Amino acid sequence: MGRSVAGIAFAGRSRRGRSIEVDFALVGHQESWKAAADVLAVLRGPRHAPLPDDDIRDILPWIPPRAVCHVDAASIAGTTARGIYIDSFIPPDRLGAASTHENIARVRGAAACAIGAGAKIVSLGGFSSILIEGNFNRLPEGKDTVFTTGNTLTVGFIVQGIGKMCALEGRSIRASTLLIVGATGDVGSGCARCLAPFVKRVLLGARNVERLRRLAAELEADGVQVEIATDPRQFSAEADLVICAASLASPSLLLGRIAPDAIVCDAGYPKNLAASPRMPRAKVFFGGLGQVTGGLRFAPDFRGILNRHPFPDVVHGCLLEGMALALEGRFEPFSQGRGFITRERVAEIETVAARHGICLAPLFNADGPVDARSDSCKLEPVPA
Amino acid sequence: MEPVIGLNRSPAIECISVSPGAPIWQDVLAQAMTGELVAAMNYTCLSEICDDPAEAADALEHAQGERRHAAAFAAEGLKIGVDVPNNVDAKHWKRLRGVFMGCITERDFIGCLIVQEIMLESFAVASYARVGKVGPGSLGRTFASIAAEEEEHIDHAMAILGTERARDARRFDDKVHRLHLAVMTTLAEMLARECRHGHCEVCHGGCVKPSLPEVALTAAELRGASLQQYLKTLDTLGLPGEVTLAWVAQLPV
Repeated sequence: MGRSVAGIAFAGRSRRGRSIEVDFALVGHQESWKAAADVLAVLRGPRHAPLPDDDIRDILPWIPPRAVCHVDAASIAGTTARGIYIDSFIPPDRLGAASTHENIARVRGAAACAIGAGAKIVSLGGFSSILIEGNFNRLPEGKDTVFTTGNTLTVGFIVQGIGKMCALEGRSIRASTLLIVGATGDVGSGCARCLAPFVKRVLLGARNVERLRRLAAELEADGVQVEIATDPRQFSAEADLVICAASLASPSLLLGRIAPDAIVCDAGYPKNLAASPRMPRAKVFFGGLGQVTGGLRFAPDFRGILNRHPFPDVVHGCLLEGMALALEGRFEPFSQGRGFITRERVAEIETVAARHGICLAPLFNADGPVDARSDSCKLEPVPA
Repeated sequence: MEPVIGLNRSPAIECISVSPGAPIWQDVLAQAMTGELVAAMNYTCLSEICDDPAEAADALEHAQGERRHAAAFAAEGLKIGVDVPNNVDAKHWKRLRGVFMGCITERDFIGCLIVQEIMLESFAVASYARVGKVGPGSLGRTFASIAAEEEEHIDHAMAILGTERARDARRFDDKVHRLHLAVMTTLAEMLARECRHGHCEVCHGGCVKPSLPEVALTAAELRGASLQQYLKTLDTLGLPGEVTLAWVAQLPV
């Protein structure tokens, strides 16, 4: 693509030209071509035939970042925050390192849209937060707009999910060996800080050995037993609690490297883990997701299109952080940079979210709900 | 297909031998030349409804500029050994001209600017810029420099249109949408993967689109770049992004 897709203006105005107050903006993109096709089908409306797949692949990469719909989040406390969903239109097949420069430009363009719309807080969803967590200085500046990666609440929901899954499976967290893949990223290191003190042993996997050593030293200073490796295949197969905070190039990388009945939290982006015939006893669930129990309202109606989960009003924790802070009236850059997520910060954002009915989503994986008894807002906290 | 407008070509230009890509460039140049001639006719008509003499003079100057562009494209054809035809009565171009003339009949100066500067020029600027990147030698340079010139005079129109939208955004956006349905639908059909409604009446043989990859172009990228430019132009004017996205998503493919 020759011309930059970024650098557009968005006026925070209604169809009729009057100004709309925007509390929060969510920046995201579609995980798959199917998801992109569904979004375009809604935009085309029922009178137009869905676009053929080839045309979607031709068209989508050229769409500049822009607002796609309005999103209202209702709190159980009775308030409502008004928001917009901005799609950066990162093509689903261009998430690799080769497209990093272009993708950062797209996120910058989406950020400019949010600023133009007057959003007071912006959550960077999915891959956007991964791209930006080490590049916050590359976002455009808005006098009245703050940005958060949303990673703190994501960590909160991952940790809650681990606790809930252990309870469902009758496992003891204290007797577990925890493996974190992608351990030195913002989410991975946050999970390590939250869970390491409560498990028997921690295995940290990441590509950057220096960062691994620093994180290991930090945890060991608190008396945690830590082993590090730049390749998960270097670990013995003892891990029975696994958090994949980064997408694995291939799920088979875990085969034979973790306990056969391990609980596996897929918290990477995009999520690509599933229990396989080669690891039939592994308990896989998608982590980092929360539910707005007060309800979400989309205009136009993108329910189930933008949030493609088996339960209603389920959204990635990173996006929910901005909604929770907007509902709380706290317009602050709660999560920025890499490596600053602590147990205290996680507890703080969980409290804010819970006050507005934003809580752990029912557990599910690629095959559907993990447990029929799964219900919303039934938290299983990790040991204190 | 007979050219309806003659151009004064420079006799100094020497023809060179015809390259394998020349028949493709011939059609690309023919479409561009036709577009420039339609633009020249449009600006000439626009000058006749301008109340402000300065605007009228501007429009005539633009018309002259578009004729120069058409002549430059014809000259590039000669350089690669092909004659560049034009046909402002070809069905798509005729329809586009008809929409513009509807605005002229209504003495709708703003409507004229929306059609010519927002829609047709987005198409021209973006597609010329793409051709400029891959076109051989002076042909590529000519497309690139004309793209840059076209972009310059869009800026002038944007100031007028921005002021107009500030007066009554709803009315302005409704007008843009009405014209979008007529103009952008036609442009989208022109750049669709296949010509579903028969020959375009500009290409000298069969449809050139399937052959574009031979000169490192595709109809899809020309379409994508044009629509991206259009969306960005509407963004700059302040039209809501989610609304214009739906407009574009509903265009034919």
